[in-house]
Amino acid sequence: MTDERARTNPDLTRRRFLQGTALAGTAAFLAACGTPAKSAAPSVAPSAEASVPATASAPASAAAATPATSGDLRWANWIGYIDTAEDGSFPTIKKFEDESGIKVTYNEKIDDNETFFTSDLQAPLQANLPTEWDLVVVTDWMVARLARLGWLEKIDTSLTPNFVANLAPNYKGRTFDPDTDLAAPWQSGMTGLGFDQKKTGALDSLEILFTDKYKGKLTYLSEMRDTVGLSAIRLGSDPAALTQEQFDAALAEVDKAVKAGIVRAVTGNSYVEDMAGGSAILAMAWSGDVLGLLVPDQKPDQDFQWALPKEGGMLWTDNMVIPKGSPNTAQAARWIDFYYDPTNAATIEAYVNYVCPVAGAKEVMLSLDPEIANNPLIFPPDDWVARLHQFRATTADEETAWSEAFTKAMGL
Amino acid sequence: MRRAIRLRAIAPYALLLPGLLWLALFYVYPAIQMFLTSLWTGNISDGYVQTWNWGIYPEAISEYWPWLARSIIYGGLATVLAFALGFPLAYAIAFRGGAYKNVLLFLVIAPFFTSFLLRTISWKIILADNGLLLGPIKAAGLLPEEFRLLATPAAVIAGITYNFLPFMTLPLYVALERMDKRLIEAAEDLYAGPWRPQGTIVGVIVGAALGFVVGAVMDYGALTLAIPGAIVGGLVGTFLISQAFIRVTLPLALPGIFAGSLLTFIPAVGDFVNAELLGNPQSLMIGNVIEARYLQVTDYPTASALSFVLMLAILVGLFIYARLLGTEDLTGASI
Repeated sequence: MTDERARTNPDLTRRRFLQGTALAGTAAFLAACGTPAKSAAPSVAPSAEASVPATASAPASAAAATPATSGDLRWANWIGYIDTAEDGSFPTIKKFEDESGIKVTYNEKIDDNETFFTSDLQAPLQANLPTEWDLVVVTDWMVARLARLGWLEKIDTSLTPNFVANLAPNYKGRTFDPDTDLAAPWQSGMTGLGFDQKKTGALDSLEILFTDKYKGKLTYLSEMRDTVGLSAIRLGSDPAALTQEQFDAALAEVDKAVKAGIVRAVTGNSYVEDMAGGSAILAMAWSGDVLGLLVPDQKPDQDFQWALPKEGGMLWTDNMVIPKGSPNTAQAARWIDFYYDPTNAATIEAYVNYVCPVAGAKEVMLSLDPEIANNPLIFPPDDWVARLHQFRATTADEETAWSEAFTKAMGL
Repeated sequence: MRRAIRLRAIAPYALLLPGLLWLALFYVYPAIQMFLTSLWTGNISDGYVQTWNWGIYPEAISEYWPWLARSIIYGGLATVLAFALGFPLAYAIAFRGGAYKNVLLFLVIAPFFTSFLLRTISWKIILADNGLLLGPIKAAGLLPEEFRLLATPAAVIAGITYNFLPFMTLPLYVALERMDKRLIEAAEDLYAGPWRPQGTIVGVIVGAALGFVVGAVMDYGALTLAIPGAIVGGLVGTFLISQAFIRVTLPLALPGIFAGSLLTFIPAVGDFVNAELLGNPQSLMIGNVIEARYLQVTDYPTASALSFVLMLAILVGLFIYARLLGTEDLTGASI
């Protein structure tokens, strides 16, 4: 029974839609073109400190430390990223609504960061207008971009005691959020080695991704921070403090492997099909994919494994952030506080199966479902956490230059 | 009376209006926006300013012409292959379909009932290195273990051909179906027999040339495919092509060929899904570049400039093609 239970549904996984949505993205871009030149708004200041807007708007600060008990919360999230009942309703959100009196509009609108940015955030925020969301879930680097642009509201931490108390320590003071009041981690995932153990034997080193032992049978990820991050870790650099020289060195290794034909393809999620069909037997892989997509459907001659390399792996996080100008910051804070109650986090985790950023959720999970609680891919043990690196925030120039250099290395 | 005449005079324009408005809103306006975007300068943090930086065009072309050229070659080859597959198919349905015509046509369109993306992903599963197709062949020892179809230019071109085949087949079918079959009988009565020896010669040359190009582009070595191509072409030319076909059927099918090849070629050149899912880093197309420039690098000006260049290149190609094949054949299809 437990085996069958709520494993991530293959159709509903968070990163499944990378490729197809590019079409929609291009269309959305056209729609977003309405405000071409930089608006006169002073908020788009390039300086890092100045760009962070003042804390929540007047009504919220007037109500400081008194949680919101009414109003709306309009929330955009990725598909399949919260516990969902058979009938398509969301039990934990229902519970929140009953407890708080806040009405939640929950929309599984986000397919990938870039597309959501162009379709929903860019145009209004550039024109200094509120978006249609009070809470959105985006990945680290997008948080960094939004913070840099001054497009985020601060989370009023006086309203979120649970968040302050229960955020796992390795998420505090991240480079793009030094005061830990812009982004509340929602779920994390790890990037490491995915392989078919029947073909490769046990693997634990990043070295195998850069040698020609499995030439043409291994894939890299099209996410710059994952692929360059792993390459940097192999060279002994820390992605959380990457210098330009270290980036260049790491990218050169990637470029070499791609040019030499060692790398069969650079993919988003589609390495999953490559591995399932035996085309690839080794990949830079997201932990959730191997656990949720590959293992359940493996054939008798396959044995899919995910390993955190001994040199280290990447940790990426999707975060809840409040877009600038949201009138409902207090309601958003109330939800964040609700989620950081370990019982609620564990309930969601039991369905979602990614890495949980809420301290104490593991203890709750031990009573709910010990199998999940003891799964290192969902609750990584301390020695794993020590080996997990997060990619640092980039400056605007770096973001452009690095992604450009990376796409060149990928053959574009 | 005068009033009626005036109404009758306006009617055609009134009928055109919805379509023109639609095009103006969803084609002309975005195209103008895209053009203006291509002449921006700036970045995502500081915003963009309209600087009329025309230099972006030579820059973008000199940097990305290999991807443009590759897209045109891949799209062109996919169109030729779709024709080679689609013509016999359309011919068979139109001339030999009999009572099953509608069923057969339905089967041609049936793949459209599944999403484009899913169909392409399913190719990854079918063509996998040890998948449904290659697995048994390799197990029988007929192909070396490291042979692969996926992550090659061949897979990209084949994927495009497959995905756009119905766009080629349907116009061909329409053209062939409305043909008066008695014209062929008449031609045969007038001694339009087998097309020899010209058919053999033309078949060998066309087959060899096609094999040569396909082999060169798909990385299998130009000569590996030129010889089998010549043999197949020769056989087809010798035994299947009659003078009646060359003098009657083919000319009457021209409007269908024209429409079909445009409907295939234009989306094929701009396609990026097949290259992304079935290709490797050496076989990416201009659509992939544009996508990466828009979404990953957020370099909107270059992306827009490339889109515009691609559109212009296709328009120019179209114009030349229309001049060569004759626009009256095109309009002939609708009369």
